[in-house]
Amino acid sequence: MHELVIDVLQLLGYQFFQHALLGGIVAAVACTGIGLFLILRKEAMIADGISHTAFGGIALGLLLGVYPLITALFVSILAVLGISYLKRKGLAQSDSAIAVMLALGFSTGLIILSLVKGFNVELFSYLFGSILTINQVDLLTVFLLGFTTILFLGLFYKELLAITFDEQSAKLTGIPTGVFTLGFNLLVATTIVLSIKIIGIILVVALIVLPGLTALQLRRSFRQTLFASFGFGGVSVFLGIFLSAWFDVAASGVIVILAVVFFIIVALYRRLR
Amino acid sequence: MNDQPIIEVTNLDVERSNSMVIEHATFTVNRGDYVGIVGPNGGGKTTLLLALLNIIPHTQGAIRFFNQDLTTFSQWDRIAYVSQDATNFDPQFPLTVEELVGLGRLNRTTIGRRLHQADRDAVSEALRFMGISDLSHKRIGELSGGQKQRVFVAKALVRNPEILILDEPIAGIDASMLEGFYKKLSDLNAQKGITILLVSHDLTAVFCRMSKVICVNREVNIESITKDTDPNKLLKKAYGEHFHFVFHEHTCQGVFNHA
Repeated sequence: MHELVIDVLQLLGYQFFQHALLGGIVAAVACTGIGLFLILRKEAMIADGISHTAFGGIALGLLLGVYPLITALFVSILAVLGISYLKRKGLAQSDSAIAVMLALGFSTGLIILSLVKGFNVELFSYLFGSILTINQVDLLTVFLLGFTTILFLGLFYKELLAITFDEQSAKLTGIPTGVFTLGFNLLVATTIVLSIKIIGIILVVALIVLPGLTALQLRRSFRQTLFASFGFGGVSVFLGIFLSAWFDVAASGVIVILAVVFFIIVALYRRLR
Repeated sequence: MNDQPIIEVTNLDVERSNSMVIEHATFTVNRGDYVGIVGPNGGGKTTLLLALLNIIPHTQGAIRFFNQDLTTFSQWDRIAYVSQDATNFDPQFPLTVEELVGLGRLNRTTIGRRLHQADRDAVSEALRFMGISDLSHKRIGELSGGQKQRVFVAKALVRNPEILILDEPIAGIDASMLEGFYKKLSDLNAQKGITILLVSHDLTAVFCRMSKVICVNREVNIESITKDTDPNKLLKKAYGEHFHFVFHEHTCQGVFNHA
């Protein structure tokens, strides 16, 4: 026990570990906040679609020698706007529009990959996350995007809640629903991009969906559900980072497994009560 | 009740999916009116409301609220609307009654700010008026049909509206709750002076409790309800010549005795 405490304190002393914890917690709060709204809007798969589309952006950034999260953000925003356009014009339903953008982004990434060899290792870190290797630029990006998301949610959560519950009614009260929906969709893109370094393109949807889904099992008020999802997401990331360092395994995998374990425990608790 | 017009509809046409649903509608609703909107299914009752609320466009004619044309009208705070499918929400949605009614306080001026004590007081007052204060911390998915309706009316009331528009609010309310629900609406109309427009298939309630009736079946006819009103004369225009509503001078007695 004594050794464990010393090891934990030692880990906390490393700058890379502090970066991982800070970035991870910010990403967890942003992801779970956005995620709860996505679940309630029944649009959780948009997170998966956008994250796979971001793959094309990452590949483009590596190809052009530009910071890949910038190009990923640009491509993700285009994808969000594309999905909105396809839906608005009646060209595709939500799930089909997401599938179109996912396929377009991912195939673009694959073509770039096959044309240019040599950055497969770096790409691997974006696909599966590399939280323990995030540098100061990554951390700054996570903070900038994360706090933008958290600030937006903090200021406008009432309006987002009203739109999520009943868009027509919200519109009648004078809330500019179109502006808020666009803003929210842009934040989905932002949140996914900021989480890519933390948990990776493949698993980001898990951090967005699982904590909110777990919190919903508790059947509490909206405010309590939101804070519970922050809690489940934050603890999954916090513990996940420690355990991955401890056992020297992939952090993103551990974080997701922990989030799944929390979901199972809470779901079982609900059934047994 | 007075003769101050607050809704004026002139020669209104409304189309949906390229077919005319409302044709040449002209009517006036005065402050303090309690208006029942009746008509057969698919006759255009909901379409009429949605056009009034500018949710769907009208093809011709004019709508005026509080002497202001709909095209420039922006004081939506003065009007509250409960749609016919308001209660068809996901029962897993994590909202308490208090939180849902609080959403009714939102408007352009509350964007980006926290709700104040005055907002919380208004929520408590609306819950108290509707007799559901004890449900404030209950999740909306756990409510009965009648409780849900009361909650949504409370959400509408919390805005302190001058006009309350309800689209088939009694669906899902059992007979034992119905009386109390109508009593609350009558109180709102009589005590708070709120003008009420209510779509309903409950013809007895409309002719016994309300001051005006609007019959909708593409055509729109409005008439004041007095003890001399012959409901069938009006209803036949909407429901057809073969329609007969059994209504005599004692029909309303039970209703008023319980109210």
